[in-house]
Amino acid sequence: MKQLKYSAIALALISSLAACGGSGSDDTPVVEPETGFSFSADEMIVNLSDDVIVSGYSILADRGAALLLATQTLVATPTQANLEAAQAAWKNARQPWEQGESHIFGPVDSLGIDPHLDSWPLNTTDLQTVLANSSGFDADTIKVWNDDVQGFHTMEYLLFGDGVTNNVKSIDELSVNERDYLMGLAEVFRDYTRILADAWLVSHDGQSGAAYGELLKNPGVNDNTFYSSQVGVIEELIQGMIGIVDEVGNGKIADPFGSSVQTADTSKVESQYSWNSLTDFSDNIIGVRNVYQGEFTGEADKQGIVDFVNAANPELANRVGREIDDAILQIRAIAGTNDMPFRQAIQDTEGRVRVQKAVDALSKLQTSLQNEVLPLLQEWQGK
Amino acid sequence: MKWNLNAVALGMSVFLSTNALAAVDPEALQQAVERQEYELKLLKQQLAAMAEQQQQQQQQQQQAKQQEVVKAAVQSEEAKRPWSRFKFESYGSVNYTSDEYYDNVQDTSPERRGRFDLERIVTEFGYQFTDEWDMEVEIEYEHGGTGSALEYDGFDEFGEFESEVEAGGEVMIEKAQLRYRPNQHFGIKFGNIHLPIGLSSILHKPNQYLTVLRHRSEAAMLPAVWNETGVGIFGEYADFHYQAQVISGLNSEYFRTYDWIASGHQKRFERVNADDLAYALRLDYGSFKQGTAVGVAYYYGNTSGNRHKSNKVSGDGSVSILAVSGAYVEGPWILRGQYLHGTLSDADAITQANKSTPGLKPGNFAQLGSESEVFFIEAGIDLHHFFDLPLTVFANLDYANPLADVDSGSATKRYENTWTSLGVNYSPIPEIVIKAEAGRQQVAVAAIPDTNFFALGVGYQFSL
Repeated sequence: MKQLKYSAIALALISSLAACGGSGSDDTPVVEPETGFSFSADEMIVNLSDDVIVSGYSILADRGAALLLATQTLVATPTQANLEAAQAAWKNARQPWEQGESHIFGPVDSLGIDPHLDSWPLNTTDLQTVLANSSGFDADTIKVWNDDVQGFHTMEYLLFGDGVTNNVKSIDELSVNERDYLMGLAEVFRDYTRILADAWLVSHDGQSGAAYGELLKNPGVNDNTFYSSQVGVIEELIQGMIGIVDEVGNGKIADPFGSSVQTADTSKVESQYSWNSLTDFSDNIIGVRNVYQGEFTGEADKQGIVDFVNAANPELANRVGREIDDAILQIRAIAGTNDMPFRQAIQDTEGRVRVQKAVDALSKLQTSLQNEVLPLLQEWQGK
Repeated sequence: MKWNLNAVALGMSVFLSTNALAAVDPEALQQAVERQEYELKLLKQQLAAMAEQQQQQQQQQQQAKQQEVVKAAVQSEEAKRPWSRFKFESYGSVNYTSDEYYDNVQDTSPERRGRFDLERIVTEFGYQFTDEWDMEVEIEYEHGGTGSALEYDGFDEFGEFESEVEAGGEVMIEKAQLRYRPNQHFGIKFGNIHLPIGLSSILHKPNQYLTVLRHRSEAAMLPAVWNETGVGIFGEYADFHYQAQVISGLNSEYFRTYDWIASGHQKRFERVNADDLAYALRLDYGSFKQGTAVGVAYYYGNTSGNRHKSNKVSGDGSVSILAVSGAYVEGPWILRGQYLHGTLSDADAITQANKSTPGLKPGNFAQLGSESEVFFIEAGIDLHHFFDLPLTVFANLDYANPLADVDSGSATKRYENTWTSLGVNYSPIPEIVIKAEAGRQQVAVAAIPDTNFFALGVGYQFSL
C-alpha cells in the first residue's frame, strides 16, 4: 500500500517536472478571478499627486506668504480695514490646509509640520504670559516655543477674539504687542508652509532626497523605499480619506457634541474664535472629494479615485460620490436658517438634531469607504 | 613525657646499684629483695601510668582527627549547598489614587478619576562568590506589565523611531552588578548600577519613605531609581560613605518639558548610545538607609553625542545636577528632605532640534528648562514609641519646577507644581506597610484651580 503511494507521488513529481521543462506551448487557460477588474492607475496617480496634493500645498504656501504680508501691513498701518484683511487672509490660508487633511501623510507627518501649524487647543494661559513678558517677537525665537502658543489657532485668537459671543474684533482691542506677535507667528507659519510645499516639490527631507511628489508618482521604481507598488499608493490615498472622515465625524464634531446638551463642551470646538468651524469641517470633506474626483471643485474632469472604483463597480462609484456630497451638505446645514455657528448649535435643541444628521452622513460615508472601496484593492489586477 | 623517662632511668639505676650490694647478709638480702620488689612495683605502676597516658593521648588524637573529618565533611556539604551564598529579596507596592485632571491646556474645570496601579514588584537576587566578590540582579515589574522597546531604524525613510509593541507596564532589569569589595574602605562595582543621585535611588522600598507614591518632585526631574551601565567605586571611612561613578549618559532627543531630563534615560532603547559618558559623585555622612545622615551628590554629563540624529544639535547639551539631602531619624522622629538643582546647556537648540526631528514628535512638550529645581520635605512621628500601635503619622511637601528658567522667551508655569499632604503609615508586621495620604496640588498658573488628591497604598518587603 505504502509503496503504491510513493510510486504515485513519484509519478506526479516526474510528470509535473516534465511539464515545467516542456516547450513553450501553453495550453493551460489563465484563470480570471470572478471579482477581479483591471484599471490602469498611472494617470490617476500622477494627477492626484500633481494637481490635487502638490498643487494644494503650493496654494497653502502662497496663502501663508499672503497672510504674512497682511499682518505686516496691519503692523505698519493698524486700521480696522487692515485687521479685516488679515482676518480674511487667515481664512484663505485655512482653506487649503483643511482640504489637505484628507491626505495627511508624507512630509506633513514625517517632518512634524502638523503640530507646528495646527496645534489645538490653544494654551491661552501661556499666551498671556508670553504677551506680558516678551516683545519684539522674531520668528526664530517663536519656533523654539511650545506649539500650543503658535500656529493657526493662536493667530485666530489674536485676530478674532475669544469667540464666546461674537467673532468680531475691533482694531482698538488689538494691542501693539499682540500685533507684533501676530506678525512673528505669520512668519513662522509662512516658513513651515514653504518647507512643506518644498518637501513635495523639491526634496522630501530638505537635503538630497527626491521630492515626495516624485516618490508618490513612481512607486516601485529604483530605490523608492516609500512605495513599492501602485497598490500601496492607492491604499495610502484611500486610508487618508477614511482618516479625515473619521476625524471629522467622530472627533471634531462628536467630541464637543457629547451625548446631550448637558455634556456638550464648547471648549473642544476647533476654530471657535473665528466661528470658522463649519467651514473647516466642510473643507475637510471637500478635500476628500478632491481626492475622490481628481480635481478641485469646478475644475475640468481629471482622473481620481472615482475612476478606480468605477472600473470595478460603477454603482458604488456613483453612490460614494453622492455620499460625499451629502456629508458636505449636512455639515453646512448645521448652520440652519439663521447662520448659527457650530459652538452654538451643539447647545441648541434643534441644532443638535442637525448635527446628528451630519454625523450620520459622515458615518455612512466612512462605512462605504472602509467596507466597499478599500477592499477593491484586493480585487484589482494592477501593478 | 620527659619526666616519665627520667623516673624510669632513676629506677633502673637504683636497681642496678642495690644489686651490687647483694649476698652479704641474708637479712640484708631479704631487705634488699623486698626493697627491690617494692621498687619494681613502683616501676610497674609508673609504667602502667605511662601506658595509660599514652592511650589517652592516642584517644585525644583520634578524637581531633575525627573532628577534622567531620568539619571537612560539613564544609564539603556546605559547598554542595549554594543557597547559603544566595540572597533573595523582594519588595513591591499596590496603590489606589484618586486625583483630579484636566482634559487639555484650555480646560480649567477638573474631573476626578480613581485609579488602581500595581505600581511595582521588584525581585532582587544576589550571590556571594567569595568573601570579596558578589553579584546582584534586580528585576522590576512595573504596572504589572510587559512593555515595548523603541528602535531607531536609520535606513528607513528619514530615519525612523519605531515602537513595535504598545502595552501597559514594563519589565526591566533595574540593576545587574558585579562587586569586588576587599575591605570596608574600598569596593568597586560594575555593570548596570544605581546612580546615587536622588534619594529615591537609595530609599526605594515602601517602608523607606512615608508618602504613598514616591516623591513627585524627584519624578519631575530625574529618572525614578536611576540606573545606568558603568563602573563605580565606593567605600566608607568612619561615618563617611563615598561613591564615584562613570556611567552611560542621557539622550536629549527625549527630554520633555514636564520632567526635564528624566525621559532622556535611555531605557527605552535596546542598546544605549555611549558616545557621551556621565560622571556621578556622592558623599554622605551617616547612612540614609539606617537613618540619620547628610549628603551631597553631583552629576555631570553631555547628551548631544547620544542623539540618534547627532547632527541636529551643535552644542554639548551638558546636564549638571547638584543634590543636597538630609535625614534625621531618632526615636519617634523622622525628618527627611532633598533639594535638587539642575542646569542644561543648549536648551533652546535641543528644543528646536526635537521639534524638527522627523518622526520624533514631542509637539507641545518641546520647551526645555535651562534650569530645573525641585525639593521635598517629609516629617513623621512614629506613635509606636508612645502607644502600642505601629502607626506613623506624617506631613509632606513636594515642589517641582522643571522650567525654573529658559534660554529665551518666558517659561510656562503650567509645570510648576506644589503638593502638600498629610497621611499615615501602618505596619501590622514589620514587612508590611499600609499607607493613606490626602493632599492638595497647586499649579502656579492662577487660572488653574487647586485640586485635591487621595491615595491608598500597600507595600511589602522581605529578604531571605
